[in-house]
Amino acid sequence: MRWIRKVPLYAVLIILVALWLLPVVSSFLVSFKSSQDFVSQTWADLPTKFFFFQNLETVLKNYKLQNNLLSSLLYSSVGTAVVVICASMAGFSIVRLRPKFNFFLFLVIYSGTLFPFQMYLIPVYRVFNTLGLYDTRAGMILIYSAICIPFSLFVYRGFYTTIPREIEEAAKLDGCGPVRSFWSVFLPQSLSPTAVVALFQATWIWNDLLFGMVLSRQEQIRPIMVAVATMTGYGGGNIPWIMTAVIFTSIPTILLFVALRRFFIQGMVLNISS
Amino acid sequence: MFQNVYYSFFDWNGLAKPLFTGLKNYVTMFTDRVIARSMINTALWVAFTLVLPATGGLLVAVFVTGVRGEGFFKSIFFIPLTISFVATGVIWAYMFSKELGVLNGLLGMLGISLKPSWLTSVPLNTFAMILAWTWQQLGTNMVMFLMGLGTIPRDPIEACLLDGASSWQTFLHVKLPMLRPITTVVITMAMVNSFKVFDIIYVMTRGGPYSSSETLAVSMFRETFTLFHMGYGAAISVILSIIVIVISAAYIRRMTKRDLLYY
Repeated sequence: MRWIRKVPLYAVLIILVALWLLPVVSSFLVSFKSSQDFVSQTWADLPTKFFFFQNLETVLKNYKLQNNLLSSLLYSSVGTAVVVICASMAGFSIVRLRPKFNFFLFLVIYSGTLFPFQMYLIPVYRVFNTLGLYDTRAGMILIYSAICIPFSLFVYRGFYTTIPREIEEAAKLDGCGPVRSFWSVFLPQSLSPTAVVALFQATWIWNDLLFGMVLSRQEQIRPIMVAVATMTGYGGGNIPWIMTAVIFTSIPTILLFVALRRFFIQGMVLNISS
Repeated sequence: MFQNVYYSFFDWNGLAKPLFTGLKNYVTMFTDRVIARSMINTALWVAFTLVLPATGGLLVAVFVTGVRGEGFFKSIFFIPLTISFVATGVIWAYMFSKELGVLNGLLGMLGISLKPSWLTSVPLNTFAMILAWTWQQLGTNMVMFLMGLGTIPRDPIEACLLDGASSWQTFLHVKLPMLRPITTVVITMAMVNSFKVFDIIYVMTRGGPYSSSETLAVSMFRETFTLFHMGYGAAISVILSIIVIVISAAYIRRMTKRDLLYY
């Protein structure tokens, strides 16, 4: 009789699954439709003609999304590289070289994640204006790296504290200075935190809206999500086009997630519990 | 950051010389009707994110463990995690759109001729956006709770079941107390994150109509970067930050204590 008790449970789960899939399915359906189909049909009707690639072509032509895609690709890759380099070295020096006040130093850097972004939006905007970094690619890379470093530092610091001290001392006995010991002892072992950091931060930069909107103005510089967001209005705009753009620009992060799901979830858990 | 607090005492448009006005920005804020609406909305967001994504995440995590096809169910709730808030906003703006939207279409199929304008009537628009947020966030909380449930040892649960407790009683009296550390994390972060919601509101309604669906984060953006009331915007962000810090204070204290033990 146990299975009867489970029926309501499955019913609830299946309803939830339907609710979660409905937006995904209907979005894909819309992006496959031509504008005429979209206006003349209801949401559940199948498109009369498969129109996704025509939509994509129009979107790329009208909104020049390829520029923003390239910019975002640049920000994600270079920004993540900068973050990995800085955070791994900082994590190493805080944990292993034990400078005075190391915990205080860590807290100072870490406090960056506690405050809402709104708190430093205005000062950053002002500093960027006076330094001429506003609306430049270098500026965007700089701000994205700066935002990502605290969390990455947290990950690296946590990881390096798990490496036994004996290993470092053995390296020291063999004549390794701190630089050498970082380079040939610590770095080769940190593949998994690097994967977590790189994946998580690259996705974050790709998906960001707020900083892109505040710190850039030219079409050439603006990251992709800003471009997508400006395609929308008060629920207006050409919905098949917008949806095509959304699906197209989400493909990179979805692929990354599918390929490296384990690291992604690990990063998410760390991000929340940090 | 300190600079931001400093600006909040000035009347400044970003270009001209800032004019010192003392606490005027703060006084204006508490008499501003738009900000009052925005505070009510922020409170709604906080309250309902505790109910929907947080509690929902717990329930789904409990339901899903041990069910046949666990992996399938889990991966469904993971889908929204990868896509951006902007994408979520666009997708749900379409779901909720009045004439051609999916939800009103569904209502029509069920024979209900009602066509609510989800995104333009107050406070329905805030609730609609909270639903979109839930769709995106539930998976995260589910992962956290699944992790917590995974660390609970089997023995006390089996002991309870042997003593004749129902599975509901075991959940309430054994599992829930043991989940407490995770629950604290999830609740704190759910509240803090709901204060920071920006992208979804910006994409779905731009805070409108007439600023009626703004939260503090969106009001701050509008005042600062659309109207260039830099000082006023700074004041809003100071209040926002203070609220966030107060909420997370207890949690931060625990975290630093744990870290100090580490040394």
